[in-house]
Amino acid sequence: MAIAEDRRRLATRLTVLRVSIGVGFGLLACGFWFFQVVQHAQFKEMAENNHQRTLTLRAPRGIIFDRTGRLLVENRNSFNISIVREHTKDIDRTIRILAMVTGVDEKVVREVVDKHRREPSYRPLVVIQDATLAQVASVSARKLDFELPDVLVQEVPTRQYPDQDMAAHTIGYVGEASEDQMQSEGVTTGSIVGQFGIERVYNKFLMGADGAKKVVVNSVGREIRTLEEIAPVQGRRVQLTVNYAMQKAAEDAFRAYGYFGSAVVLEPKTGDVLVLTSMPAFDPNDFATGIDRATWASLNTDKLSPLQNRAIQGRYQPGSTFKIVVATAALEEGIITPERQIYCPGGGTFYGRFFKCHLAGGHGHVDLRHAIEKSCNTYFYTVGNMLGVDKMYKWSEKLGLALKSGIDLPNEVESIVPSTEWKQKKYHERWYPGETISVAIGQGQLSVTPMSMAVMMATIANGGTRVVPRLVKAFDEGKGWEPVKAPPSPFAPFLLKPETIGAVRDGLWLAVNGEGTAGRGRVAGRDVAGKTGTAQVISNEGKERARGKTDEDLRDHGWFVFMVPKDNPEIAGVVFSEHGEHGYFSATVAKHVIQTYFAQRDGLPLPVLAPPPPPAPPVRVAAVTGPGGTP
Amino acid sequence: MFERRLYYHIDWVLIGAVLALCALGLAMIYSTTGGAGRVYWTQVYALGLGLIAMGIAVSIDYRSLADKSHWIYLAMMILLVGVLFFGSVRGGSRRWIDLGSFNLQPSEFAKAVLALMLAKMLGEERRPALTNNDLFIAAALTAVPFIIIARQPDLGTAVTLLPILFVVAYVAGMPMKYIYAMLVVAVLAAPIAYKFGLQDYQKERISTFLDPGQDRRGAGYQQIQARITVGSGGVWGKGFRQGTQGQLRFLPVAHNDFIFSVLAEEQGLVGVLVALGLYFFVIMRALDAARLAKDRLGAYLVLGVLAAFTFQVIYNITMSAGLAPVKGLTLPLMSYGGSSMIATLAGFGLILNVRMRRFTN
Repeated sequence: MAIAEDRRRLATRLTVLRVSIGVGFGLLACGFWFFQVVQHAQFKEMAENNHQRTLTLRAPRGIIFDRTGRLLVENRNSFNISIVREHTKDIDRTIRILAMVTGVDEKVVREVVDKHRREPSYRPLVVIQDATLAQVASVSARKLDFELPDVLVQEVPTRQYPDQDMAAHTIGYVGEASEDQMQSEGVTTGSIVGQFGIERVYNKFLMGADGAKKVVVNSVGREIRTLEEIAPVQGRRVQLTVNYAMQKAAEDAFRAYGYFGSAVVLEPKTGDVLVLTSMPAFDPNDFATGIDRATWASLNTDKLSPLQNRAIQGRYQPGSTFKIVVATAALEEGIITPERQIYCPGGGTFYGRFFKCHLAGGHGHVDLRHAIEKSCNTYFYTVGNMLGVDKMYKWSEKLGLALKSGIDLPNEVESIVPSTEWKQKKYHERWYPGETISVAIGQGQLSVTPMSMAVMMATIANGGTRVVPRLVKAFDEGKGWEPVKAPPSPFAPFLLKPETIGAVRDGLWLAVNGEGTAGRGRVAGRDVAGKTGTAQVISNEGKERARGKTDEDLRDHGWFVFMVPKDNPEIAGVVFSEHGEHGYFSATVAKHVIQTYFAQRDGLPLPVLAPPPPPAPPVRVAAVTGPGGTP
Repeated sequence: MFERRLYYHIDWVLIGAVLALCALGLAMIYSTTGGAGRVYWTQVYALGLGLIAMGIAVSIDYRSLADKSHWIYLAMMILLVGVLFFGSVRGGSRRWIDLGSFNLQPSEFAKAVLALMLAKMLGEERRPALTNNDLFIAAALTAVPFIIIARQPDLGTAVTLLPILFVVAYVAGMPMKYIYAMLVVAVLAAPIAYKFGLQDYQKERISTFLDPGQDRRGAGYQQIQARITVGSGGVWGKGFRQGTQGQLRFLPVAHNDFIFSVLAEEQGLVGVLVALGLYFFVIMRALDAARLAKDRLGAYLVLGVLAAFTFQVIYNITMSAGLAPVKGLTLPLMSYGGSSMIATLAGFGLILNVRMRRFTN
């Protein structure tokens, strides 16, 4: 009986066990079904994120050459050290170790990681750009120790500017894309795009297409194999119109003589920019690997503003160089003939006020050619008065001195030449005829960029076609160089009368080769035609009030504009030197550039820079009343 | 001792299913350890030794074994204590006896020994109904190896002993009120035990189980990785040796504790259901042996051995799916581990032994 009962109980309890185990296995099967079927997609992605990494293969940017085929900008390989947060067991530990082995401040590393906290995951955050070989070695060694599975060392092409700050404002620099640029350029975070100059304007051509590499990594971050690789496509090669030798000649001269300023040289027929310099400059290499804060701050706060491109962003009074416009306008408008003589007794009275000529004794009877040669103020007071301000403005615009030149660089400012309409618009005041007299010798409210000055000279040099300066000569899309056709000029075509051109060029030739003020620009056998000019930094009365400033800050700026050779000019341009008084120094720079141009053209050895010239003689005579014109 | 006719009563079907699981395990070890390396061959040798152990366990009549169970039990306790003093240390615990080329883990064998001891004690035919005294002695007999093994420390293996006690006591007629009482006590005592009874690393494992996200890279890491491993396998799996989680070591000890996760990753839900089905079949088939057993001793012995096995299988598979706190519990028959393999096969030897002798006197 007991045994039977025993048996029955055993059978019952065995059944209970059987059912429990059955339920247990059933639940397990459900669990696996839930993970492997219902949530499969999610876990699949998580597994892929674990072992797959997509690495961007940065495309090398296009190489930039000068017009003679000389290399201006290239790429070199550098190492970036990055952190992939998602593969981090302990981000603080990683930051600490990384900072320790690379010798970088821990704060800097942490800042980078914090800054990108909200960005899409699994993207490597570049912590150290352009790491040294020692840093790369020590990080790689740690990676093998399994200490830093979340740290990535990548070789990337980096921009290199072999000539450092040469033509820096023209070439520009690159940097990480800003939020706006990511939108407008259609690039992802961390992409390197052009931020300034040619690098920025032609970024789309230069940038190329980044590639990608999808790799399988194991749990310690070692790459096991490559799943797929899309090779990067290098950006297009670009050939600039800039002439390396001439550009260098200009900058060397500025540097040797210790002046700052700007030089622009154009090819009058095409608008090709042969020289475009702005001094002081900066080294774009500093930007290529992410500029450090201190360098950036010093560039921005430097009162010499090295980041400003003076050629298109600096505006100065043209001074006597404006007389070229007045002469051209008067001849074209038929107000005078080149033979027209005007008597200069040392000044003239207009609208009840006496305006001085810079030569106290007066120039006597002068015609247009000699008025240009000697830069006679009285002559141009008279002619300007006959013309009126609006005619002067009209011809300024026609010749390209007013408004923007339209060069393919960003942030160009407009050159200002006043007119009655302009004054009404700006000051809501009518124009007083007396103001015209100052304008006629390039003073008053004139404010022009060196670039527009160069365009004006080019227009006179080519006989009346206002060209748009351009910087790119050719692109290479992989099928060899394809020249860029100069776009048709957007400006109304006109021709200058031959006698106008002849007279103005004669006057400019005399200024250099005769008894004029621009003798320092003379090059034997090259028929340089040119003119100096002075941009007043401060009016004479102002000088009295500006005590405390150093003399150097108050010295006038000097211009020299030129075209050469006089008949059928091949180059035309301008040299502007800050505080370079009267343009003597500017003419010296221009001379070196001109000599370089001809030496290169004729296959001769390039000229050696002459020793610094002696200080300019004190020509300036203080004006008794009002503006005192100087040559 | 071994009569020739007994040969015909051997449960070849059960042996076949057990060997199928061993083969599945070997295949997964082959996959995760990158081919036929040291680990793989160790497991093959262990399988051979296990089959010999199984043969020995089948040959000796379980009743003779039971008669000497107290000596066997005593010998095992001495061995366990010996391990505490002279065992070799790996990973912070002292569980192994170094036999030169081979490390033996006596606690694996303690399960079968305890099953034999309890079966003998509670299943002797001449005993009247189960008394409280019997239960107390049974509990004490379980407590001794439990405490020793827990001191190694190896809480996972120690806990495996408890199902042996409960199942044998349950089928031996433990009153239901005790079972209810135990459930109540367990529920009430859990927080206290958590607070005072567990080591910090054990607490951490449990708390991260409840919220794995709180420590994505620490203790919760294995659990999350286990789920990713299983879930990413899908229905058909990534293919033999094609798994990423196990192959690239995102899942630690893949050939050992997490071998089932690897199976799920590489063979998918299909492989999981085949393996689950095999385990379920083996357990049900063994339960049959208990039902068919000639005497209570045999039935209890089968159930005791099976209790530890089933508990370990269910717990490990649950853990493999990231649904239970990570404990160092292997999956019997499939996980890498010589002692476990030999002890488990010996245990099945005992089960076969009982079934085979159901007609003998």
